[in-house]
Amino acid sequence: ACRQFVEEAALDFARQHPDVVLYVSPRAGPAPVLLAEYLNGTVREELIASKTSEEIVQLATKLAGQSGLDIIRIRKPFHTDNPSIQGQWHPLTNKPSALTVQGPRLQPQ
Amino acid sequence: MAARLLWRASRRLLAGAGAGAGAQTGAGLSTAPHRDKKRWLRAYLEQQRLEAPPQRRSEKPNWDYHAEIQAFSHRLHENFSLDVLKTAFVNSCYIKSEEAKRRELGVDQEMVALNLQDNSKLAEQGMSFSRSYLTQCFEGAYPDLPAKGIGALVDFLTSQELVSYVAQNLSIQDLTLCKEFPVPPDVLQRTFFAVIGALLDSSGPEKTGVFVRDFFIPQLIGKDLFEIWEVVNPMGLLVEELTKRNISPPEPRITRQLGVSTVLPLYFVGLYCDKKIIAEGPGETLLAAEEEAARVALRKLYGYTENRRPWDYSKPKQGLAAEKAISSN
Repeated sequence: ACRQFVEEAALDFARQHPDVVLYVSPRAGPAPVLLAEYLNGTVREELIASKTSEEIVQLATKLAGQSGLDIIRIRKPFHTDNPSIQGQWHPLTNKPSALTVQGPRLQPQ
Repeated sequence: MAARLLWRASRRLLAGAGAGAGAQTGAGLSTAPHRDKKRWLRAYLEQQRLEAPPQRRSEKPNWDYHAEIQAFSHRLHENFSLDVLKTAFVNSCYIKSEEAKRRELGVDQEMVALNLQDNSKLAEQGMSFSRSYLTQCFEGAYPDLPAKGIGALVDFLTSQELVSYVAQNLSIQDLTLCKEFPVPPDVLQRTFFAVIGALLDSSGPEKTGVFVRDFFIPQLIGKDLFEIWEVVNPMGLLVEELTKRNISPPEPRITRQLGVSTVLPLYFVGLYCDKKIIAEGPGETLLAAEEEAARVALRKLYGYTENRRPWDYSKPKQGLAAEKAISSN
């Protein structure tokens, strides 16, 4: 199936993804491996020994679409660069200031 | 000991029987169990692999320079003319080291001179273009920010660490031709500006401007103005700004205070102009709080607060061509 991929689908894959350089080289190793190198340096290896040609194409497109960030659990599914619009609350936010408070004890200045 | 020998012998016997049977029947491939590398040997080889000095990507297997450069231009969705781009990646130290190597190998004098051009001109073009473009962007977005502040922002964005970080994540380190590895940050900076210069030659100032905007301005997200721009006397600067706008000088007053007699006091100092508050800032001591309040007031005046509108990436900047013509002259 790996050889089938190299014969048939590899050229199409390379044409559809012009920003990915596809190298095909015979390796004296135990199993065929799809090695993906990303721009930030991460390297991912996937075994393609017992996969059909279409599965290899799908795997390759998935790897081509990923960025090189580590695949770890995302702690929260939201993020914002402006966490506070009116200013973050702190214990003195809505407390009246000593200069302006008018009460029975303090006289206005 | 004896048990282990017995176990290994029985494994070989079984393996022999299995292989023999498999070979006779000819059904499928049965690999006889081969002797794996010893555990200590595997650990030693792994240690050698980890301690090996980092190598250039071009020296590792599977590398096609032309294909990589084409992929680079496709990745950025830009049309580069490939020759200009290839000259952009050539550094002077590379040319010198290659000529030295050829001379050592005893090649003829005529062959020693390489037909490669430097990237210094492209780098200067790219640097000046990106600086002028970013200055214009900031002048348009923050009209109240003084020239020194804009200069500080542009210096930060074109500084070595930031540019080399962006360049490394765009795989420019793999494509540069340089003597040393890992590539030093100033060489990366020069190469990145040379790439921008090459883009300027190939596609024109508008597309290059869009490129510069897309890669440099997001580096400002989450950064505060006074982290980038070091101001020694914010109070003096604030007084100057207020006199320029004909507002009376600020009067600092303590707004709140907590824990005055403790180890960690907290003072909030408010700055009042004509009895109206313009800013309030916290601090551990009264002086620190006053300085912080002055900084908050400056941020409000320049429009660089945390809750300002985010950068507008939608429309391309018009009127850049005229400016570019002026800057290149």
